[in-house]
Amino acid sequence: MSKDQQPILALRSISKRFGATQALADVELNLFPGEVHALVGENGAGKSTLIKIATGIHQPDTGTMELAGEPFHPGDPAAAQRQGVAAIYQEPSIFPDLSVAENIFIGHQDRGLLVDRKAMERDAATVLGSLDMDLNPSQPAGILTVAGQQAVEIAKAISLDVRILIMDEPTAALSAHEVKQLFRQVQRLRELGVAVLFISHRLDEVFEIADRVSIFRDGRHISSRPISEVTEELMVREMVGRDPSEFFVRTRTEPGDVVLSVDGLGRRGVFRDVSFEVRRGEVLGFAGLVGAGRTDIALALFGVAPADEGTITVNGTPVTIGSPTDALRHGIAYLSEDRRKLGLSMTQSVTTNITLATLDRYTSPLGLVDRSAEAADAAALRDRLGIVTASLDSPVEHLSGGNQQKTMLGKWLNAEPQILILDEPTRGIDVGAKAEVHRFVDELARSGMAIIMISSDLPEVLAMSDRIAIMREGRLEGIRSGDDANQETVMAMAVGVA
Amino acid sequence: MNLSLRPDRIKELTLLGLIALAVIIFGLVIDGYFSGRFFNRVSTSVVVVVILAAAQALVVISRNVDLSVGSIVGVAAYLTADFLQNNTGASPVVAVLIAVAVGAVLGAFNGLLVAYGGVPAIIVTLGTLALFRTLVSLYSGGENVTADALPDWVIELNASTIVSGGGFDLRTTFAVAIVVVLALQWILARLRWGRRLYAIGSNPDAAAQAGIPAKRLVLWSFMGSGALAGLAGFMFMVRVGTISATAGSGLELESVAAAVVGGVSILGGSGTVLGAFLGAVLIDTLRLSLVRVPQVSEFWRDAVLGVLVLASVIADGLLNRRLSRRVAERGAVNAAEPAGGTAGDTTPDGVQHPLAAREGSINA
Amino acid sequence: MRESQPESSPESLPESLRAWARSHRWETLLAGILVVTIVANSALSPHYLGVGNIVNLFWLSIEKIIVAVIMAFVIINGEIDLSVASVMGFSAAVLATLHDSTGVPFVLAIVIALAAGALAGLVQGLVVAKLKLPSLVVTLAGLIGFRGAARVLLEDRSIGEFPGWFDRLGQRALVGPFPLAIIIFLVGLLVAWFVLDRTAFGRKVYVVGNNAEAARYSGIAVERVKIQLFVMSGLASAFAGVLFAARLGSVRGSLAEFFELDIITMVLLGGVSIFGGSGTMLGVALAMFTVLNIRNGLGLANVDGIIQTGVVGLLLIGSVLAPNLVGKLQGRLPGWREPTTAADGARAIQSS
Repeated sequence: MSKDQQPILALRSISKRFGATQALADVELNLFPGEVHALVGENGAGKSTLIKIATGIHQPDTGTMELAGEPFHPGDPAAAQRQGVAAIYQEPSIFPDLSVAENIFIGHQDRGLLVDRKAMERDAATVLGSLDMDLNPSQPAGILTVAGQQAVEIAKAISLDVRILIMDEPTAALSAHEVKQLFRQVQRLRELGVAVLFISHRLDEVFEIADRVSIFRDGRHISSRPISEVTEELMVREMVGRDPSEFFVRTRTEPGDVVLSVDGLGRRGVFRDVSFEVRRGEVLGFAGLVGAGRTDIALALFGVAPADEGTITVNGTPVTIGSPTDALRHGIAYLSEDRRKLGLSMTQSVTTNITLATLDRYTSPLGLVDRSAEAADAAALRDRLGIVTASLDSPVEHLSGGNQQKTMLGKWLNAEPQILILDEPTRGIDVGAKAEVHRFVDELARSGMAIIMISSDLPEVLAMSDRIAIMREGRLEGIRSGDDANQETVMAMAVGVA
Repeated sequence: MNLSLRPDRIKELTLLGLIALAVIIFGLVIDGYFSGRFFNRVSTSVVVVVILAAAQALVVISRNVDLSVGSIVGVAAYLTADFLQNNTGASPVVAVLIAVAVGAVLGAFNGLLVAYGGVPAIIVTLGTLALFRTLVSLYSGGENVTADALPDWVIELNASTIVSGGGFDLRTTFAVAIVVVLALQWILARLRWGRRLYAIGSNPDAAAQAGIPAKRLVLWSFMGSGALAGLAGFMFMVRVGTISATAGSGLELESVAAAVVGGVSILGGSGTVLGAFLGAVLIDTLRLSLVRVPQVSEFWRDAVLGVLVLASVIADGLLNRRLSRRVAERGAVNAAEPAGGTAGDTTPDGVQHPLAAREGSINA
Repeated sequence: MRESQPESSPESLPESLRAWARSHRWETLLAGILVVTIVANSALSPHYLGVGNIVNLFWLSIEKIIVAVIMAFVIINGEIDLSVASVMGFSAAVLATLHDSTGVPFVLAIVIALAAGALAGLVQGLVVAKLKLPSLVVTLAGLIGFRGAARVLLEDRSIGEFPGWFDRLGQRALVGPFPLAIIIFLVGLLVAWFVLDRTAFGRKVYVVGNNAEAARYSGIAVERVKIQLFVMSGLASAFAGVLFAARLGSVRGSLAEFFELDIITMVLLGGVSIFGGSGTMLGVALAMFTVLNIRNGLGLANVDGIIQTGVVGLLLIGSVLAPNLVGKLQGRLPGWREPTTAADGARAIQSS
C-alpha cells in the first residue's frame, strides 16, 4: 500500500482524560487499507483507551476520527461495527451455547424474520474455509479452543465486511501451531483489504506479521515506521523512553540458606520436570512468554492447582501443598496477577483485605476479630507501602490501581511469608508506583525474604533478579545468573533458539 | 446438520428415553398400564404444567426466571371464569383471548421492571407473585366461581376429543398444548427473535456488543410467558371448574422444576421448549404411575420429584462442563510429546479434544 | 463501614450519626419507613404500642423471622436456600412421627429432628459446594423433595398430642409476656449480628459472597464456609419447625408451606444484595420489623392476609426499583453527576 492512498482510519489530535490521568494526549494515527499495523507499548501507554475510542466505548475529549474520509464518531460498539470497525480481544466474546454459524452471523445474519440454518451453516463453512479453519459450523461454539473461538470472531468480522479489525493481544493464549494459523488468517484479511491494527507485547510477532509499527508511550504517539526501518532495540528504547540500563538497581546481598527447593515438579499437561532452588534474600526471576507455565508453577507452589509429581521442600523438610492454607502454613504467599478477580474483595475495606490471609491471627478463640489490632497492623502496612486512601475503612474499589496493588501486597506482607511469589506485580500500574514496588521488593529481599518474581517485562526481570529462570512451553529451559543474562539471551531461550 | 453433537438434541432424546423407560418399567409392575385410560389421564393432567413449563423456558433461556406464573394463572383463570359467569353466551375464543390478554399485560408489568427498571427477575417475580395474588383476592372478594355457573362448553371442552383410536384419545386440551409447544419451539429455533433470546442468555455482554436490543427482547419474553400463563389459566379453568382466589398457587415451582428436568439450564442460553415439555411429561408420568403402584403411596410423589430435579441439575452441570471450555487456559503442554508436533491430526482445527494436551504457547 | 478514625478529634454525636447514615443509606431509609409504619398504625389503633400487641406482632411470624436471620447469611454468601420451609415441615414431621409411632423419648426425638434438618442442609451444601451447582436449583430440588419427605412420613394425617410441657413452652409466655420463641429470636438476632459483624466467620461470609475466588486465593476454605452455612440453614429451619409444632400443637405435611417467599423477601428488603457480598443484620432486622408492623397494622384493620402479602411484595420491588430510578435520574440531569476521581481514571485506562 502506497502512502498516497487515503487512510481508511485517521485519528487526529485525540486526547482523553479520566479524572486526573491523561490516558491519551494529542494522538495521531493513520491506518491504510490492507495493511497490518502493529501498535506497541507498555501497559498504561494508552493502547486500550485507543481501542475503546475507536470502537465507541469512550468518546474522545478532543480530536476527530475519520473513516474513509468521513467523520467517524461511534456512540457504542454496535454503531462502530455497523460502520465497519470491530475489535477482537484476548478473551473471545462468543455465545458458547449457540452454534459456530450463529456466532458468526448473529445480529446481522438475517434478512427477514426467519433463520435459514442450512444456508447459514453453508456460508459459515465458506468463510471459515477461506480462513483455513476446518470447523464444524453446527457445533456449539463453547467447545472450541481459544484459537477456534478467535477464528469465529474473525469470520464474523469478515462477514460483517469490516474495514478495520483491531486485535488486542490475540496470541496471548495460543500455541505455536495456532499462532501460525492466526497469522494466515491475518494474511487473508490483508488480501481482503481489511486494515488490521495488531496490538502486541511480542516484538518477534510484530516483526513477522506487521507492515508498519507505531509506538506509544505514556499516552503519546511516539512514532510510526515501516517495519523495515525498525529494530528491536529501537522499539524497546522508544517504548520505555529511557535506556533499559537506567532501571532500578538492586542492592546485591549475599543470599542465605536455601529456603525453597523444588525437584521434578510437574502437572500433567501443563508443566514438567521443573527443578530449582531459592535462597533467603534472593530474587529468582521467572521469564518466559505468556503461557510458558510460570503462573502454573506458582499455583502449584501455592496449592491452588497442586502438582501431580515432584517434591517441594521448605527449609529442608518435604511438604505437601494441597491448598492455599497449606502453603500459607509453610510460609509461601502468592500475589496473583489478576488483582480484580483474584486478589481483592472489592466491596470490603482496605483493612479487611489486608488481613484477609491472616484472619486467624486476629481471631480470639470465640471467633471474635480484634479490630484494634487489625487496624494497627493495617495502618502500619499502609505507611510502610505508601497506600493512598481516604480511610482504612474505605472499600478497596475506590482506590487507584497502584494503591490496590499495594493493598494486595500488604495482604501478603502481613502474612510474613518466607517465600513470596509475585506474579506480574507491576502490570497495569503507572510508572511511579512501579518504581515503588521495585524499591519495596529490594527491601524485602534485603530483609531476608526469598522472592520469586514472574514478569513478562524483560527489563524488569533483568534488573530485579539475582538469577533468572526461563520457562518455555512448560519446561525450564535454564537458569542464568543476573550478570550473564541480557535481553537477547533470555529472549532467545524463551523462544527456543538458544 | 450433525445431530449427535448438539447438546439440546441429546437432552431431548435422553428425556424421551427416560419416559420410555419409565413406561416400560411401570408397565411390568402395574396391571393394565398400557391402556388408553392411563394415557388419557396423563395427557389431560399435564396440560397446564406443560404450557407453564414452556412459558418458563422462554424466560429462563434468556437468563431470567418468572416466579409469578402461578399467580398469573390464578388471575387469568379467575377473571375469565368471572367473565363467563356473567356472560354465559360468550364463545370460547373470546374467553381464551381474555385469558391470554390478561396474562400478557401482567407479563408486561414484569418485563418492564426487569428490562427497564433494572430489578433482577427473581426479585420482581417474587414481588409480583404476591402482588398478582392480591389482585385476585381483592377482585374476588372471597367469592369463588363455581363450575355450574360456567357455560356448558367449559365442561365439554375438558372431555372433548379430536381423534380417538383404540381407547387412546387425543383430547382437545392436550392437542392445544402440543400445538403451543411446537409453535414456541419453532419460534425459538427458527425465528431471529428466538435465536437472540438464546444469545442474551448465553452471553449478555457479547449480545450487547452485537447490537442485540436486549431490553426489548426481555420485555417480549416476559409478555410471552405471561400470555402463556394466561392460556394455562384458561386451561386450568377448563380442567378444574371451580375457581377460587388461590387458583394456581404453587404452579410456579412446578414450572421451574419441569423446565429444569427438561434440560433448560438455570444459567441461561441452553435448553428447548420441547425439552421442557418432555420434562413436564416425565414428571407427570412418574407421578401418576407411582400412584398406581400399590406399594408406593401417593405421598411419595414430591419426594421422587425432588430427587428427579436434583438428578437433572447434576446431569446438566456435568454435561455443561464436558461441552464447554474454560477460555484462555494458559500454557497447556503436551507432557508426552516435545514441542513441535501438531495438536492431534484427527481432530479438526480449533476443537478441544477432551483428552489431548496442547502445545505450549510461544512468542513467535 | 464502621467509624474508626483514631487519629482525628472526636466528632459530635450528630456528625458521626450523619456520616453513618450516609454510608448506610438503605438502613436509614428502612428506619424511616419503619417509623412511618408504626406511627400510622398507632394512629389507627390505640393499643398498638402496648406490650400485648408487640408480642402478638412477632408471634404470628416468629418462625419465619428466625429462619430469615440465617437466610441473611446464606444470601450474603452469594447463595440462596429455597428449601427452608420444606425442611421446617420435614423436621416437624420427623418429630411428630417419632413421637407418634415409636417409643423414642420426646427430647431425643427433638434432637433427632434437629439433626435431620442439619443433614438436609449438609446434603444440599455438599452438592452446591463440591459439585459447584447453582444453589437456586439445588435448593429447589430440596424444596420439593423435603416437602415430599414430610408427606411420606405424615401422609395426610395430623399428628399432635405432644407432651404438655412442649405445648406450654410453645404457646405460653416464658419470661414476662414473652414466649420462648420470641426470646430465642431476639437472642438469635443479637448473636447473628455479632457473628456477622464481629467474627472471622462473618467476615468470611462477606468475602466469599463478594468474590469467592479472591477468598480462595487468600487461603479461605470457601467450600467449608458454604457447607457450614447450608448446615446452619438446615438446622435453623429444623429449629423453627420444632418451635412451630410446639406453637400449633400439631403437625401436618403442609406445615410452613410457601414460607420461603416471605423469608427471602424480608432478607432482600433488608438491603442484602441478591448477588452477595453486602448487607447488614441491622437492615434485615429493620426489614423484618417493618414487614411485621405492616402485617400487624393491616391485620388490625381487617385487611386480608393475601393482601398484606401483596403490600410486602410491592415494597420489595419498590425497594430495589427506587434506587435504580434515582441513579438513572442522577445520570441524566447535569450537576447531579458524581465527580470522577483519580481512581476512576486510573482504572479506566488500565488494560484488562
